[in-house]
Order: sequence, then structure tokens, then C-alpha cells
Amino acid sequence: MITVNGIKLDWYEGKTVRDVIQEMNYLFPLLIARINGKLIPRNKYDSTEIPDKATVDIIHLMSGG
Amino acid sequence: MADREMIRIEIDGKSVSVEKDTTILEAAQSIDIYIPALCNSELVEPYGACRLCIVKVDDGRKTKLVTSCNYPVRKPIRVYTSSEMVLRNRKITLEMMLSRWPNVQVIKDLSKNAGIKKPRYQHPAVDLNPNACILCGLCMRICEQGIWENIINFTTRGAVPAGRMSYGSDQPHCIGCGACAEICPTGAITMVDDPNQPNDAEMIRKAGMRITKEMIKYDEEQCDMRGVGTAHLVEIMDAYDLLPVMNYRFGKHEETPKISSDIFRKYFTKGKPDGCWLGCTMACAKAIENFELKTGPYKGERVLVDGPEYETVGGSSNMGIFDPYFVAEYNFYCDTYGLDTISFSTGTSFVMECYEAGVLDKEKTGGLEIPFGAKDAALELLHQIGRGEGFGLIAGKGIRYMKKYFVENFGADPGFVFDIGMEAKGMEYSEYVTKESLAQQGGYGIALKGAQHDEAWLIFMDMVNKQIPTFEDKAEALHYFPMWRTWFSLCGLCKLPWNDVEPADNAETDEPAKVPAHVQGYCEFFEGVTGKPQTMDSLIRMSEKVYNFQRVFNLKMGFGKREHDAIPYRSAGPVTVEEYESRQDRYDTQLREDVGIDPSGMSSEEKVALTRKYREAQYEHLLDAVYKRRGWTNNGVPTIAKLTELGIDFPDVIELVTKHGG
Ligand code: SF4
Ligand code: SF4
Ligand code: FES
Repeated sequence: MITVNGIKLDWYEGKTVRDVIQEMNYLFPLLIARINGKLIPRNKYDSTEIPDKATVDIIHLMSGG
Repeated sequence: MADREMIRIEIDGKSVSVEKDTTILEAAQSIDIYIPALCNSELVEPYGACRLCIVKVDDGRKTKLVTSCNYPVRKPIRVYTSSEMVLRNRKITLEMMLSRWPNVQVIKDLSKNAGIKKPRYQHPAVDLNPNACILCGLCMRICEQGIWENIINFTTRGAVPAGRMSYGSDQPHCIGCGACAEICPTGAITMVDDPNQPNDAEMIRKAGMRITKEMIKYDEEQCDMRGVGTAHLVEIMDAYDLLPVMNYRFGKHEETPKISSDIFRKYFTKGKPDGCWLGCTMACAKAIENFELKTGPYKGERVLVDGPEYETVGGSSNMGIFDPYFVAEYNFYCDTYGLDTISFSTGTSFVMECYEAGVLDKEKTGGLEIPFGAKDAALELLHQIGRGEGFGLIAGKGIRYMKKYFVENFGADPGFVFDIGMEAKGMEYSEYVTKESLAQQGGYGIALKGAQHDEAWLIFMDMVNKQIPTFEDKAEALHYFPMWRTWFSLCGLCKLPWNDVEPADNAETDEPAKVPAHVQGYCEFFEGVTGKPQTMDSLIRMSEKVYNFQRVFNLKMGFGKREHDAIPYRSAGPVTVEEYESRQDRYDTQLREDVGIDPSGMSSEEKVALTRKYREAQYEHLLDAVYKRRGWTNNGVPTIAKLTELGIDFPDVIELVTKHGG
């Protein structure tokens, strides 16, 4: 089990940041991802695996509109 | 974006692994190996003009000299950047350049590094100008590829070919962005047009160029503002349940793909950026050319539609209409009649819901059958408003007027029309569903001009990121962002370059939501014009004075108290059973977890009422917190202490707020 923006999600071995973004249907492009506080660069979303019990923040950078 | 194929190569004995198709020059730069590259820039496609970047490549079968700026790595190779052959060749090239442009600083520097004291050749067309054009082609490439204009070209008029504007020095289509001047390595291009006589034009240009660079490098993968403009938000808002559908009852619809940005991309005039102002390289305005109108006074004519933008498309889903031709048509006629697409569409959504609920019927509308989705009727209503006729005379006066009119003349239930009539302070809501973001409800309700999101757009911060969980956090956001965004209006600047493109390292800053590097850029714009240095805090301070003064003005005009910051309940929660049931899980969970009531066994009516009680109380708490943060009384009136602190404690201001308990 992992927590993404305060929401509980199932965990499986090899689950990547990209998988989480897809599962949450986060379509917005300006995202910042952190796993347990550690920043994950955008070009590493496909290759970064999330450990079990991790807290993941996917910050949407829109304070605009 | 899948991870790319990696290839390991060797440069000057150092091994490095790079993505396939990386150029040798980029590979070398990534491990700090220097190769002179005069005609190259990360902002444009390589060109291979100067030939200074040559290196020797050994692919295991043979060796050859290649220009490293445009040689893509496709297999393992060995690269030598300063072999004897390379150095000899580079030196000859430089000597020829130096003989032709002996006073150009960058050539002099490179020659010196290469150990050239005096060139061995004499060039027949020697040019002694220290700012001579060296034909690197950077200016034309950035203008064409980076800015999407095509203003500068090599011309051979006169004795010396040089980068020039095609039709003389006054090219009316040049947007004056300054990118060519900025990228030119010799200073051959200078910007001369400074009609406003700013204090420091260079400072303004440098800050502008930073945004331009980000637009060139990142826009396509970020917001694609130049490709489709704000319409890129349509499918995004739908995905987050925030796209208003049928008068804000719902936040998404299965037919949204019919009006998504991909559809409009096909109709938009391509490859031609269209900025509101000269020099803007975000250029998010879009147009549909040659659009044939189907209704109204210009029926059958082909016209240019200026748009649509996100709000116009969101207004259409709000009316339950998912037809791009309708969007273009109503966009055109709103512009032509001088109507705002937001007010028209939100107002018409209200009319449609009233029609479906029986508040209106064909007789009351003068023959218009206008339920959700009735596009012909919506257009007819638009034309009636334009002509000032029939039901258009009533609808054209806006929701606040209609609510009262329907109650007084049609016997409408005041509770119902006030719940679903989406306006605050008399202005129609713009196109976002705010039910699940308390902070955004405040963003609309407290905004001085009425229900517009341009003071604060906090839905992601609040609802998705959960960055501002407490009332105090929300109040802080409802202090900072409205002040910051007021500042744009004070200066007449557009806010989109602030956060619709993002610097590469923004994520690593302390407060990425504020985009600190861009705030710094705006400080420089201000200082560049006025000569007065600024900080993030001083900009906020400027706004705070004006903002509080505007609140006092509202007070004077009868709009500046707590009661005026009230919002229609549709903006805070589900008004109808149908709405509740469409998101039952969400609302049931809230009752259970946040309110502490077990909803099982309750009727939907009971749950609607309990949810409402809870959410309305939350909104009142929010107002308390925001007023406190802003230094206002609990009735939303600026205190004398606050006005004194801001230096706007003029006698008539004090007299007015005193009367209202400030
Ligand atoms: S100022 Fe901008 S638009 Fe004008 S020529 Fe230079 S790059 Fe092109
Ligand atoms: S004007 Fe400057 S940027 Fe353009 S080709 Fe000449 S040297 Fe290069
Ligand atoms: S930088 Fe490669 S040819 Fe000029």
C-alpha cells in the first residue's frame, strides 16, 4: 500500500511513478513528483520504482488559469 | 515517454553513455569537454555553418572529420576533439574567419585560443566592423524555428551578405521579441525601438528572453500554449472532474473528446503564433480562419474566429453542448456583439436548468425550447440578446437580474434559483467546478470584482495536491495569490507567462507553486521600466494597498461586506439529489470521515441536507480565516490598523470604514 496525495493505492513490485500517474489519471503536464520527499526528475518517471509504504506527492503546478 | 535507447561512446578517452541521436557536441558538453561551436545553440536546429566544431570520429572501420554539432550518435564510436588533424583544420577555418572579420571579438578570442597571432591570408571582402555579421545563421534560425516568425534572412544586397530583414530594416511583421539580437554572437543586431524609454531596456530584454528560451525548449511538452492555447485545459479539467457540465452539476462528460484541444488543433491556423502584444513569445491566442457561419446576420459568410479559449469551450460543456462548430459560432457572435463568452454561457446554462426544472417554459421564453444541449436555441438566444429583443432582453441582463425576475414574474422558488444561479456580486462564474475545493469557493466568493478565478486558482493545490489542508493554509493562499495576481492588473501585464511555462529547475525551489524564478523576472520588468528595484514582498505590498482600497471602494458602493462574499450553494456542494447520487461515494465518505455521521440507511434528501449544513459551515469558517489573515473585521471590512499600516488611511476612507465597524 502506498499513499499518493493522501489517497491510498495498492502497491506491487515494480510500480513506477508513471504507473501511478496513469492510475490516478493525472493528465496535467506540469507535475512535480516526490517519493518520501525525494524529488524525481520528469525524465525518470518511467524508470523510478516506488517502494512499498511510500508516501508519494504528485504536485500539480497550476495556480493559474 | 518511454526511456530511450542508450549508446556508450568514448570522447578523448572518457567513456559516456548517451541517448541515441544525441549529437557528439551534446555528448561532449555533458562530460565537460569543450568544443568551440560558434553557429550552434540549444535553442535551434544545428546548421553546420562555421565548421569550428569538427572532431575526428573512429567507428572501428574508418576515421573521418565531422561537424560535431550535427552528427548524431547512432553506434558506439571513438571521438577525438583535439587531435592534430582536428586542430590543424580548425585553425585554418579560424584564420580565414579572422582575415575576413578581424575585429569581431568572439572570432578574436577563438583565434587567440587556437594560437593564431595573425592570419596568413588576406580576405578580399575584409570587414572591419567589430559587430560584423559572420553568417552563422543563428538569428534566422531562432526567428523561424524558435519564434515561428520568418523575418530575418541572409540577403546579398550590397557588397556583403548578412543577416537582414527581407524587406529592408522596417519589417512590419517583426514582433520585436529580441531573440535574434540576444542570440547573435557578434552584436550585429541591436534593438532600437524603445518608444517607452524604459529605465533599463537591457534588463527587460534579458528577463523576457529567459521566458522565450523556456517557451522554445519546453512549451510543446508542457502546456503547448503556442500549439493550442488555453484550450489544452479542456480534457485536463474533464479528467479531474472540474469541467463544468450542465450548469456546474457535473465535472466531466463522455462527449468531452468532441470538444477537446485535439479537435480544435485541427481547425486552428497552424504554425502562426498570435500574441496579444508585440514581443510576446507565449502567443497563446488562436484563430480559426475561413469559418462559415450558419446563423445570424452574417449567415453564410466566411469569417475569422478569434479563439476559442478554454473558458469558451468550458462554457459550451456547461450548456451541455459538445459540438466544436457551435463553439466557434457562439465564440464569433459573442465577440461580434461585444458579449463575454463566460457570462453568456453561464447565464444560458442557468436558463437551461430553469427550463428543465419547469421554472421556464416555451411561453415564458417567447417560444424558445431551451433545455441543456439545445444549440440552435442557445444561438437564437444569443442573437436575441445581441438585438435586444424578446427573451434576450431578460437573459442579457445576467443571472442576478434573471433570478429576481423569475421569482417575481414566474413564481420561481427563490431557494432553487438562488442555489443554482451561478453568480457572485452580480458577475457570472467562470468555467471551473469548485465543489470539492473550499479554497476555490473562497477564490470566487471573496474576489472583489465577482466570481472570477483571476484572483486565485487554487483547485489543484487544495483538492488534488492537498497542500493547503487547514483553514489557515487556505487563508494564506487566499492572501498571497490574490495579491500577486492583482499586481499583474496593476501593471497591465499578462499573467500567463508566470505559470503556463516553467523553468527546468522550478521543482527544486522552495515554493514551486509560486514559480520564484518568474516572480524574479517580473521584478526585473518593473525595475527595468521604472528604475526601482523590487522583491517578491514589495510587489505584494503594492497590491495590498490597491486591493484594500478597492475593498473600501466596494464598501462605498454597497458590495464590500461579508454578506456580499456569499456564494450560490451549487458552488459548494450538490443542490439536487441527482447531483448527490452522481458522486455518492465521495459525499458519503465525507459524511462518514469528516462530519462523523454514518450515512447508511439515510435517504438521499437527508444526505443532501447534512452535506449542505457541513459545507456551508466550512465556507463561513473559511471567510473568518481569510478576513483575519487580511487584517479585516469579521464582517470583511478593512480595519483602521490595516489601512494605517498600508498608508491609505485618508479621512474619508476612515470615516467610511468606521461607519461599517472597521
Ligand atoms: S525580433 Fe523576434 S520576430 Fe523580430 S526578427 Fe528578431 S527574432 Fe524575429
Ligand atoms: S546577424 Fe548575428 S546571428 Fe545573424 S547570421 Fe549574422 S552573426 Fe549570425
Ligand atoms: S557549431 Fe558546428 S558547424 Fe558551427
